[in-house]
Amino acid sequence: MSEPKIKIEGEKWGKQRTRADRTDELYAHIPEGETLMKIENLRVVYRTDDKETVAVDDFTIDIKKGELVSIIGPSGCGKTTILRSIAGLLQPTSGTIMIGDNEIKGPGSDRGMVFQDFALFPWRTVKQNVQFGMEMAGVPKEEREERAMRYIKAVGLERFADSRIHELSGGMKQRVGIARALVMHPAVTLMDEPFGALDAQTRNIMQEQLVKIITHSERTILFVTHSVDEALYLSDRVVILTKRPSTIHTVVEVPWDRPRDRTNPEFTKLRKDILAYLEDQNVMDN
Amino acid sequence: MGFKYDKHNKYHRFGRSCLITAVSLFVLMWVWWLTSMIIQRSLDLNVSPLATPQDSFAALFELMKNGDPMEHRSLWSWVWSSLSKFIRGFILALVIALPVGLLMGNFKLVREFLTPWVEVVRPIAPIAWAPILVIIFQATNGSIMVVFIGIFFPLLTNIVFGVQKIDSTLIDAAKTLGASDGQIFLKVLVPSTVPYLMNGIKVGLGVGWMCIVAAELYNTSLSGIGYFVKFMIDNSSYDYAFAGIIIIAILGLLTTGVAEYVSKVVSRRMGVDA
Repeated sequence: MSEPKIKIEGEKWGKQRTRADRTDELYAHIPEGETLMKIENLRVVYRTDDKETVAVDDFTIDIKKGELVSIIGPSGCGKTTILRSIAGLLQPTSGTIMIGDNEIKGPGSDRGMVFQDFALFPWRTVKQNVQFGMEMAGVPKEEREERAMRYIKAVGLERFADSRIHELSGGMKQRVGIARALVMHPAVTLMDEPFGALDAQTRNIMQEQLVKIITHSERTILFVTHSVDEALYLSDRVVILTKRPSTIHTVVEVPWDRPRDRTNPEFTKLRKDILAYLEDQNVMDN
Repeated sequence: MGFKYDKHNKYHRFGRSCLITAVSLFVLMWVWWLTSMIIQRSLDLNVSPLATPQDSFAALFELMKNGDPMEHRSLWSWVWSSLSKFIRGFILALVIALPVGLLMGNFKLVREFLTPWVEVVRPIAPIAWAPILVIIFQATNGSIMVVFIGIFFPLLTNIVFGVQKIDSTLIDAAKTLGASDGQIFLKVLVPSTVPYLMNGIKVGLGVGWMCIVAAELYNTSLSGIGYFVKFMIDNSSYDYAFAGIIIIAILGLLTTGVAEYVSKVVSRRMGVDA
């Protein structure tokens, strides 16, 4: 394995742009289960002409390597804001985000992202979409093709490798989105309500497939959702946020191995407890 | 009568539209002829300045067979001198509008600075520049410049609009995949602007074709289908003049038809309008 050439350009916020393939190797020295990402006192304030809105306040958490952490909370509470800050797409008002020893000061390929509305390039085929990041990082064509096809197979789209995006269903589109993010081997993968735009049945299938893909793959994933069920089905830990300004309400450890059984009485009980708890705290809407 | 029109049968639909078009064109010819007669009577002339359809088409066939009546230059040589100016004007407009449009769309300062220029110059009919441009650039290049102005603004405004319309999550996605600003520009911004560019080309070609013919009325280069029409009118050969006008109409239809088709194919290829 060659040394990943990670480029950290510029000290000013937003000037940093991590541009490399396989950024996870950069943190290979951190053992699984140890802290990979540290978020401290994250605060995001939106300013408009006449008022300030505190979207996120005092958000502090350590994400361990190989862990899937869900962030859950009422809609419009700032979950996406947290994710976008980590992605470097939005500059936090204060607080620090560290991956290993690197402070985040802009977007980069070390934090792959899966978007709710897919954000696929419509002029590219499925394969070309999956190859985009590797193309940007200058991965040789043959390796690019081979790896892209491997991930396209992993998400079950090999028959559609040369299809255009508009020919795919919503579920298929998001599988392309997931393959496109994971093929880069980012240090952390951010998923912003990735299944939120899908119907319930497709959603369940996608959750199962995601579990299959990430089992034994040492992926570190931060997953935003508004479904308690989805959070419990997928995550090692569930972070429950308060209403705006969002701060951590409580963190629930989910003990079971994957794949999980939703009909398991313990599972349904925990789900009920969390829902009741949220309703009690008046955290969830309606 | 055994025939019954079925609107779900594509051959029936095609037959119907052919029939309507044929009737429409027939009525047009008749109105044309009638108007021509009325004008001739009311002005009390031997020949109507609005040549009749029969005379015009007869002149058109004569033109295709033997070239024009004065110099016997072929129809194609008249048409080509217009087309070549048209193409050069179009390429010039594309080469300048593309970078300027991308810069204006991408950088707010450039856009804010250049918008007043565009808004002041754009409403001026391109042909209004013709007399000046013909003096400055001579006949041939002057006509090219008129075409350039006609095509430039539809292209520019469509490109600027296209760049601003880009889905910002696509740029976010590119950033999280490690694209540099240059790569975002080339690999995301430019391709997502292509359908808008095609729309600009579609509109621009229509305007440009009108411009070239009009510009040739002013020029002294003795070339081009517009000049042909003017020359024939000056010589009272109205039938030939209208033969020229028919050619202009057909070429205009062809240009916009081709542009429409290419735009459709390209937009589909770029994943838009699917």
